Amino acid sequence: MDGDFLPRIIGFLCNWCSYAGADLAGVTRLKMPPSLVPIRVMCSSRVDPLFILKALLGGADGVLVAGCHPGDCHYQTGNYYTRRRIALTQKIFSELGLEVSRLKLAWVAASEGARFKKVVTEFTEQLREMGPSPIGEEVFL
Amino acid sequence: MKALKMSKPPDDAIRDILRFSLEKKKVQAVFSLSKIEGNGYAYALISNKELLSNICPTFPLMPVNSAKMISRLTAVEAVKSPIAVVLRPCELRALFELVKLEQAKLDNLLFISFVCNGVFPIKAMKDGLDGKLEKYWENARIGQDFAELRESCRICESFVPDNADIVLMTGGSQNNDTSSVLMKTQKGEEFIEGINDQFVEEDRELKGLDNVRNRRAELKKTVFSDLKTEDFGIQGLARIFGRCINCHACSKACPICHCNLCHFEAAESESDPSTFEVDLNNRGALRLPTNTVFYHVGRLIHVTISCVGCGMCSDVCPTDIPVATVFTKIAERVQNSFSYVPGRNVEEKIPILTFERDELEELGE
Amino acid sequence: MMGKVIPLKENLNTTIKEILELLLEKECFDAVLVPVRVPSGESFAYLLMKDRRILQSCTPLPPIMPVQGARALRDLTRRGNSNLKVLCVMRPCEIRASIELAKLRQIRLENVSFLSFDCPGALRTKDYINSPEESDNQYQEIIATWESENFRSACNTCLHFSYEGLPADLHIHLTNMKEERMGITPLSDKGKESLSRIGIECNGDLSGWQTEVNEISRKRIANRDKAFSELRDKISGAEGFHDFFSDCINCHNCMRVCPICYCRQCFFDSSGEAKSEAEDYLAKIGAKGGIRFPGDMMLFHLGRMSHMALSCVSCGACEDGCPMEVPVSRAFAFVADEVQKMFDYVPGRNEEEPIPVQTYQEDELHQYEDAKGTG
Repeated sequence: MDGDFLPRIIGFLCNWCSYAGADLAGVTRLKMPPSLVPIRVMCSSRVDPLFILKALLGGADGVLVAGCHPGDCHYQTGNYYTRRRIALTQKIFSELGLEVSRLKLAWVAASEGARFKKVVTEFTEQLREMGPSPIGEEVFL
Repeated sequence: MKALKMSKPPDDAIRDILRFSLEKKKVQAVFSLSKIEGNGYAYALISNKELLSNICPTFPLMPVNSAKMISRLTAVEAVKSPIAVVLRPCELRALFELVKLEQAKLDNLLFISFVCNGVFPIKAMKDGLDGKLEKYWENARIGQDFAELRESCRICESFVPDNADIVLMTGGSQNNDTSSVLMKTQKGEEFIEGINDQFVEEDRELKGLDNVRNRRAELKKTVFSDLKTEDFGIQGLARIFGRCINCHACSKACPICHCNLCHFEAAESESDPSTFEVDLNNRGALRLPTNTVFYHVGRLIHVTISCVGCGMCSDVCPTDIPVATVFTKIAERVQNSFSYVPGRNVEEKIPILTFERDELEELGE
Repeated sequence: MMGKVIPLKENLNTTIKEILELLLEKECFDAVLVPVRVPSGESFAYLLMKDRRILQSCTPLPPIMPVQGARALRDLTRRGNSNLKVLCVMRPCEIRASIELAKLRQIRLENVSFLSFDCPGALRTKDYINSPEESDNQYQEIIATWESENFRSACNTCLHFSYEGLPADLHIHLTNMKEERMGITPLSDKGKESLSRIGIECNGDLSGWQTEVNEISRKRIANRDKAFSELRDKISGAEGFHDFFSDCINCHNCMRVCPICYCRQCFFDSSGEAKSEAEDYLAKIGAKGGIRFPGDMMLFHLGRMSHMALSCVSCGACEDGCPMEVPVSRAFAFVADEVQKMFDYVPGRNEEEPIPVQTYQEDELHQYEDAKGTG
């Protein structure tokens, strides 16, 4: 695939865990491709599936939803709902022939700077292989 | 279970039962499909037993999903004294989902339903059904498909009501001039109690409908596989929803869609012209009004977990988009993945409004 | 009226397309809003486009009007002015509705220009979807003859099908189509400037084409008088009104496809109307002994009339969108005509002219006052 193509990832990162983890990755100078545009939310359960859909229809190559590990949610149970919502959204995407793997759910703790780097790097690589999202070209939306 | 055999067709039987209940003040009012002035049919809430001569509960039309109407009646507060409600199995299931969504209250409602043989598309109300009714009932009696009915009805396997207090047997091997009235709950029994002696008691289970169910399941398999949603992708979505004129009739007709102000109509989903300019630069062109595919996929995400397959959406679409086919198919897959059946149990939570601590381990790594 | 006569190349759509391409190429406009055939082929949708290659596939004058153009334009400029210079290719009723929406502050017309054309009418959308090819062929003939049984009812009685009183920038004359030619006239300075920039010299006198327009107007006026006098008897009184709308299932679709009805949440869909307390519903049953659900059929239609009839451009979108094919636009056009006459108002003729209920005269309409009164 196109080696110069830098995938555009919209990342919804929960304030208490994954956003902090991302911050840690930055502070500790961990290198990763500049593909992710971070959007901070207070909890991963704030992420309405419509945000994901809007991002993908807008032409994003990938969407990352990142939150605390199950059991560690700052609001106790938020991420359990997130998990179900992502499962639902992925199911619908797959039934509609939309590329499911463009939506990724990852649990990243505040101390896991290295894990955040790994998630972003691997996701970017995966999207590079898949190529730009075909949705970006569609006109009859 | 206890049953009554009445020597009259289902509509007459229900009229008798309701007349009896109004006379004996067991209910203050009854709710049923009714003939109205002109050619029309509409649901009606009736307190005057003289008007019962107009009701036609099993008449094969669904001008609006009555679950939405019961929601209008009970969303703000429950009814204070009993009302008998006659409705189809899918409408009852949709009502239970609306209760879970806090849009309806079941207090003081008694449900009468029947084995449903399907409805005609609402347009048929205009052209009149005189020529077709005989064929409809004949097909129902012998358990045969009728191609002129709503597609959703022809592929519906859930045509036997689960949660009604009283169920009428219609069609199957049933002679259309007699009705078996099954009392499925204590409430149902109490409701019928004291009705005219001439009725005969018999033990009756709801059986003999498997061949109908199987036939419909076969047709559903074909309809769903012909649609090939798995091959859609964005191009397929642009294609199937290409004719959409953004009227949102499908959403307004859907019993599950209950938001006072739909997200897709609110200011929050409108964009500044500069957003359109960005899109124009990226894609070269953009359809207006915008957000068509967004609306449909968004609505799939919102409603499919509770979709009961009533088919109102396809019926009201002004450009004949097969909305119900897409939605019912995706709904089946989504509901299976959560092992959920909408409307089977009013205590059972809608899957995305609850969670298990240990599940879906493969997600999130 | 000066303009240019242009012989048709192939057909009307290709000829207009060429002009649009030139207008984009010479940067008279940044983008064009024009109907395009949808991917599945049996309908049309408005596309806003910058790319001249996509312009190849457009259909400036489609046989149907599934989405009223003013609704498409409203999506674009509701929240602010367009920074791009946009040329909207629309039927006269769509332009007039856009002007009304501008008065209602739902559309901003800065940088927006209009290309209109003589509109013979639009076919019913559902009919077209069932047989698109046949309908396309039928429409070629219709453009030449200006008559058809298959038009929407609103089109057969429409008197505003041409450029008179239309605040467009460019107008395409189609009343001489039998001779395989069309005319183009600038109706504003912007229009004049654009045509000269693309090398179209407006040195021909097109005032002769007015005779065709007058002829068609005469026929339409006759159609209208007949239709309205029949309607007046039919729809008279509460019973007549109720009968007329007896197939109505209260879906409110007519309101949603109407370009003038712009409220995000219609009053008739709001909680106050749609969800009352159970006791209120039961109280409504009262002496009648029963109420229908949904119960606001007459209130909805009469209410909607009182809200939008002054701006109604009788485009027929309401009827086209009705799942029960109730002739909504007949009733609405009829009432709209009457109330607009009352104020000597024609919707869409002038952006500066306020809608009659947006203004007042201190000394008027005394015949509606009970001046003597009892108090």
